[in-house]
Amino acid sequence: MKGDMYLTRSSDDAIFERSEYGGAVTALLKFALESKMVDAVLAVKARDGNRYDGIPVLITDPEAVIETAGSLHCVSPNITRSLKEYLNGAFDMKIAVVCKPCDARGIIELVKRTQINMDNLILIGLNCTGTLPSATAKQMFHEEFEVDPADVVREDLEEGKLTITLKDGTEKQKDLDDLEQKGYGRRENCRRCDINIPTMADIACGKWGTDGKKATFIEVCSERGADSIDKAIEAGYIKVEKPDSGAIESRKKRDEEEVLLAKKWQERDFASLKEMSTEEKFHYWFGQFSRCIKCYGCRDACPICYCKDCILEADRGIVAPGEIPPDIMFPMIRSVHVMDSCVNCGQCQDACPMDLPLARLIFMLNRELADIFKNEPGMDVNAPIPLKSVTDEELAVTGVELQF
Amino acid sequence: MDINYVPTICPYCGCGCGIHLVVKDSIIIGVEPWKEHPVNEGANCPKGKNAFHYLYGDGRLTKPLIKENGTFKEASWEKALGLIVEKLKKTDSNSVGFINSGRITNEDLYVIQKFARCVMKTNNLDNASRFCHSTTVPALVSTVGSGVMSTSELSVERADCIFLAGSNIKENYPLLARRVLRAREKGAKVIVMDPRRTLTTRTLADIHLQLNPGTDTALVNAMMKTILDEGLEDREFIEKRTSGFEELKNYLASLDMNDLEGITGVSADSIKEAARIYAKAETGCILYNAGIAQHFAGVENIRALADLAMLTGNYGRPGTGVNPLRGHINGEGFGDMGPVPVFYPGFKPVNEESAKLFEDYWGVEGLPSTPGKTYMDMVEKCSVLYVDGANPMVSAPDTNSVRKMLEDKELLVVQDIFMTDTAELADIVLPAASWVEKDGTVTEVDRRVQRIGKVIDPPGEAKPDWKVICELADLTGMGEKFNFNSPEEIFEEIRKTVPQYAGITYERLKKAGGIQWPCPKEDHPGTDTMFMEKFATPDGLGHFQVVEYKQPAEIPDKEYPYVFSNGRLIFHYHSGTMTRRTERLKSEINKAIVEINDEDAREKGIKAGDAIILKSRRGEIEAIARPTDNIVKGVVFMPWHFSESSPNVLTGPSAGPPSKMPEFKFCAVKMEVKG
Repeated sequence: MKGDMYLTRSSDDAIFERSEYGGAVTALLKFALESKMVDAVLAVKARDGNRYDGIPVLITDPEAVIETAGSLHCVSPNITRSLKEYLNGAFDMKIAVVCKPCDARGIIELVKRTQINMDNLILIGLNCTGTLPSATAKQMFHEEFEVDPADVVREDLEEGKLTITLKDGTEKQKDLDDLEQKGYGRRENCRRCDINIPTMADIACGKWGTDGKKATFIEVCSERGADSIDKAIEAGYIKVEKPDSGAIESRKKRDEEEVLLAKKWQERDFASLKEMSTEEKFHYWFGQFSRCIKCYGCRDACPICYCKDCILEADRGIVAPGEIPPDIMFPMIRSVHVMDSCVNCGQCQDACPMDLPLARLIFMLNRELADIFKNEPGMDVNAPIPLKSVTDEELAVTGVELQF
Repeated sequence: MDINYVPTICPYCGCGCGIHLVVKDSIIIGVEPWKEHPVNEGANCPKGKNAFHYLYGDGRLTKPLIKENGTFKEASWEKALGLIVEKLKKTDSNSVGFINSGRITNEDLYVIQKFARCVMKTNNLDNASRFCHSTTVPALVSTVGSGVMSTSELSVERADCIFLAGSNIKENYPLLARRVLRAREKGAKVIVMDPRRTLTTRTLADIHLQLNPGTDTALVNAMMKTILDEGLEDREFIEKRTSGFEELKNYLASLDMNDLEGITGVSADSIKEAARIYAKAETGCILYNAGIAQHFAGVENIRALADLAMLTGNYGRPGTGVNPLRGHINGEGFGDMGPVPVFYPGFKPVNEESAKLFEDYWGVEGLPSTPGKTYMDMVEKCSVLYVDGANPMVSAPDTNSVRKMLEDKELLVVQDIFMTDTAELADIVLPAASWVEKDGTVTEVDRRVQRIGKVIDPPGEAKPDWKVICELADLTGMGEKFNFNSPEEIFEEIRKTVPQYAGITYERLKKAGGIQWPCPKEDHPGTDTMFMEKFATPDGLGHFQVVEYKQPAEIPDKEYPYVFSNGRLIFHYHSGTMTRRTERLKSEINKAIVEINDEDAREKGIKAGDAIILKSRRGEIEAIARPTDNIVKGVVFMPWHFSESSPNVLTGPSAGPPSKMPEFKFCAVKMEVKG
């Protein structure tokens, strides 16, 4: 049931051998397909084995699941968008989605907005302390690690270090903070993300708590998750054992350490922006947005943006057509529409051709709202959307003074 | 249900950005970021984000068409090609011309030039590079030996001074503008030389040299004079790597700064400031484009820029150089493949020696060894014209004359994807496959060869361009020289005949970002920066050229008092064939506007939104007025994307040989409010 924790491994030796840890995720996905619990699996695959070109794939053949086994740290495809835009929000089919915390949270926000059908989903969450930007990671491997990126077969982020394994078995390691000071390392939003264990999914899978064992640590996070695990055990796909309190403790401790580091990055990222005077802020942000070339990349990428008939389109008459940069209302409207629910996925900033610090701005605003409304986006499908919901308490307010 | 994310290259400009196409059950349904691609790292401009929509646009040509009694009738390929071959057999090599395109692949172009030379024994081959960089080639060949972008797009961000000469890169090469932006974040200074306060000027410039149109040579001479007067030249570089310095030095000493100030309309102080910043920079990068090249004095303008770079040692290192920006997705490839009147493939000049070389390669005899006709000469003088992927009715100067000449042809064949203005005038129209409807390679601005894989089938009976030509060759009896079963086979032949491509293979091109030529061997990684050890001239030295300022061809006078210039917008692409069939881009802007100086507008009683008639000695067009202070008094500017109000109805005069460049950026017009 919800809250249960297991150390698991795939019962299938081939899967176990091929996997980085216990192979439980692969086993569960195979089970989900073979038992017809789902129609398809949405996962990320290295296209043609290229660890820098991660694409969403829809798998219906259980034998094909193993091709997505193993972690890919140098990719960040927009799984949430793929589900919403190209798979009709899972309204037509049951899908098991392999998701990092930001993917799962984006999905939950879209469920709140009736764009994705939660009933048809099983969310297989993966622990995550960050991914690296694909093109820059390759440069980093050349310049800092002095290896050919094509020779890298595995990356590991652990305890402040980035360790890579090469084709010939050798390992190389560098300090993550050093790399990040140089402009390498993880995507900016990943560094400041303080949600590493996807408890908002149905199950959360990862390596913390395995403490050297070749196993997958699974935390059951929902009744649907419990049901899937139980059925998978019963059908013989995975073997489980209870983790001892030491393992559970070490997992908790690792998470807390990473959360602390993330919060430090949040401070660093937002400090200079928060210190500005109002006048300086206007000058800075208007200056930034004067670079915009109206590609709509941010709007397209954002999981929270879902309107079929977006108010920012040129034919809506709100933002004058054909103008570059677009009127300041373009980024203002976008910010206001999504900032109460930003999950810090960073896809907007990745997509921007003019290097605008979009996720930095919108997530910074979100942190203020999260504090005011006591609401963390993307955790609970039943939590109201702050700026779009009116509570009974708010309806009863009279007068002009508001106390939070 | 089958969903696939397929990597490919955006079909529009010469940046060569990567995108993922989302394909569902054999239909392209979306564009997503391809984050691995080194040029754009997952970001795209408005055109790239809407890259595929035109493929499904209304009016895709799907069947061959033959004009009978003024209307087009659908016909079989057999009939259409049969008619063409019949006519070609009766046409001598002087009278036939092949206008080809930077929109088609290297494989398409290679086959076209092979056909023209082997079957028709003619060098009458040319394309729209005549209209943008025909001045670049003679100018840069005479100075540094090669007319290509010498640094790579990625390295531009390493420069500490970027000189944007006649290029509105923020609108026309946005992902390259991003590199300039990054350089600027690191402290680089950006100088923009442009008569207009373009978007690029407004968002990227530290110094704006807002010169009188067409006076670029004078301004660059003034910069060089300043540099020498103040001892800022790079003596070591000049001594070790150049020749002809003394002549240049003496010429510049003879110039008077006051005169140059007067000609350019830019204060001596501003010129000197810009000169000092560029000269003192560690890594100075010149990016130039149509504003420099599309002039009567285009060759002079570009020579001056090359002189400036050599004078200050800004060549041969990453992020330096004098860099032309070719506009089309295959803008570089359509020089490399030789479908031009003066080069065989791989830049071998048309002469007896090259003809013999290719006779050996191809196993044929009698290849033409004298240069062929250029674009406009073909339009004027060839009675049989084969136009593939080109639109002279919108892109060529003096549209009204072009129309008469095209209507006069004994046979006009147009091969394209939509019924363009040019195709309307054809006798035979052939439907072509576009972009991801076929396999092939393209070569972008920084010599970057990239592969485009077939993702969907072409519509109806449309065929890849190379296939059409091979079938034609077969019908003429030369089929065995055109025995290609796939584009990859054509590429293998290209590797043997274009030395710069020798080490490139389709397999190697699977790498994101492709390979930059020269790439002489299969284990060679490709070349980021050119001229690192020596220049591509016969003696390896850079040759300074003395360049004198000369006036544009058609100076305004009392009757036609305004300078007319034209250029591009971010939302549309060239003659609009593709972007005007893309809803998102159309909804931004879909009508011709004309930028008029605020004061000029007031004087003529013109208000924003008024319909204006613009007239030149060659014709008239209508556009919507947009008064602005981003343009100086006496100059008007229009985008050339909207064929119903085509600037080329007004343009006309062209430079003589070697470039034969039409002076798109400068001609004389008058204007009045539409009555």
